[in-house]
Amino acid sequence: MPGKTIIGKTIVIEGEIEGAEDLVVQGTIKGNIVLKENLLVEPSGLVEADVQTQNVDVGGELKGDITATNKVEIRKEGKMIGDIRAPRILIADGALFKGSVDMERR
Amino acid sequence: MIDKKMGAENTIIGDTIIIRGNVQGDEDLTIKGRVEGSITLTRDLFIENSGIVKADVNVQNIFISGVLVGNVAASQLVEISADGRMVGNISAPRVVIIDGASYRGRIEMGEAAEGARPVMRPRPVSRPGMRPFPPRPAPAPAAPKPATPPGAPPAKPASGGEAKPSEKPSGPGGPLLKPPEAKGPGVKPPEGKPSEGKPPTPGGPSVTIKKEEPKKP
Repeated sequence: MPGKTIIGKTIVIEGEIEGAEDLVVQGTIKGNIVLKENLLVEPSGLVEADVQTQNVDVGGELKGDITATNKVEIRKEGKMIGDIRAPRILIADGALFKGSVDMERR
Repeated sequence: MIDKKMGAENTIIGDTIIIRGNVQGDEDLTIKGRVEGSITLTRDLFIENSGIVKADVNVQNIFISGVLVGNVAASQLVEISADGRMVGNISAPRVVIIDGASYRGRIEMGEAAEGARPVMRPRPVSRPGMRPFPPRPAPAPAAPKPATPPGAPPAKPASGGEAKPSEKPSGPGGPLLKPPEAKGPGVKPPEGKPSEGKPPTPGGPSVTIKKEEPKKP
């Protein structure tokens, strides 16, 4: 089981992030995220990026397009603006979402 | 080796993570993966053994156990540990390079300190150098005196040992002219014999002369 990377609250990253482990965002990322594992945007987190991962869990704010191989979940405290492309998509009651959804199955 | 503050304020970039771009923050950052671009922190940066950073870095303290290529400006300390490798320039008031570390680049530890050192050093050196020569020829003879006693250890047992100090100050002028002992040694022994204090010193030089003669031919 690969490790987990946590981007702390005060951290701001502008650029590309690649990896093969879980990424937890409590701070800010602007740019591009490509992961083989899971992206978790916590309530304090802000992501302005196009995202390609296995699973995405949005508890904070995410602006950008998501392409997930498994599941995208927008929690009740989450805000998401952008298009989602994934086989499974969950939007919790109270969540904010603006964009298009594509659940095309493989 | 690396002491991490166990607070919530600590970000770890994992082994498999690659970041290309700028990283900023107000907390400690530990890099086990790879970062290319720039890093600006108000706290500390730890580059662990597996970490590779190709970036210009601006932090408070930086501890390098991995690889860093780029320029570093630290407000306090830069430390390259035994496993660390770095190429780039360092600007920091304190720089520590542990034995085993690999480093190539320039180090700047602050302009104020550098300016003061070169100015201060030459002055004290030149002053003492100039003073002794003209006013005090005495120090020169003083040096040969200590050299002679070892040459004349047999003479020491004589009571003249105590008399030496008293005679030396009185006769500095004599010895000064004679310091080229090679010429005057022949004259000295006869003069020295009458006085108890002198014999020890001439005895020494006479011995040394004998040694010199055989050597020359």
